[in-house]
Amino acid sequence: MEHGARAPGVRNVPGRVEQIFGALADPSRRHLVERLADLGTATPTQLAGELPITRQAVAKHLAALEQAGLVRGRREGRNTVYRPDPAPLREAARWLDLVGAQWDARLAALADHVERRRA
Amino acid sequence: MEIEREIVLPVPPEEAWEALTEPEQLEEWFANDVELDARPGGVGVFRWDDGDVRHAVVETVEETERLVLRWDDDGVVELTLVEHPDGTRVRVRESSPEWSMALELRASAMCPVA
Repeated sequence: MEHGARAPGVRNVPGRVEQIFGALADPSRRHLVERLADLGTATPTQLAGELPITRQAVAKHLAALEQAGLVRGRREGRNTVYRPDPAPLREAARWLDLVGAQWDARLAALADHVERRRA
Repeated sequence: MEIEREIVLPVPPEEAWEALTEPEQLEEWFANDVELDARPGGVGVFRWDDGDVRHAVVETVEETERLVLRWDDDGVVELTLVEHPDGTRVRVRESSPEWSMALELRASAMCPVA
């Protein structure tokens, strides 16, 4: 983390993290990830039985979640079986640590600025 | 889910408030180019030399005590100032509904019920 005045904004959320947050902004997709975490593995048909949405909608949500790396699908015979992958969630959490570190740098720069002004 | 940080500045709250709200001062520590109308409903534009730009709207102003900004992605920054024996304690809290949704999920999805 760069210190001193005018540390650039971390706010340019890295594309991957933005994708993770974006994928989880939808309540149905959050619910799907949570159900998958409970079940371990499941097919779109099984998941559709648990949510008030169609199997097609479930498949679409799972594709978006897979794109973000939050679930992994594997063909097994005629079905695709999905399992959750917690790694992207850890990545998102690390990014938040970075936002915290950025505030440390900003506040250090603020303290320097106030000192300079007093001098 | 929120981020919270604090620092004690060796100046009275009035001076600390100016350092947090006057664009010329914000340009010394927060961003390279700052426009900020520190009144409720006022607009803030923060530009960094790396091309990053953030827009905000001022939600709350309690002169020398509390400033709340809402970023255009719905994240919120709250700055609270309290008099301190060494000057002023400045506390920053930043939160975002996106972070909360992802992190609340993290708690349950990472520790599934066996």
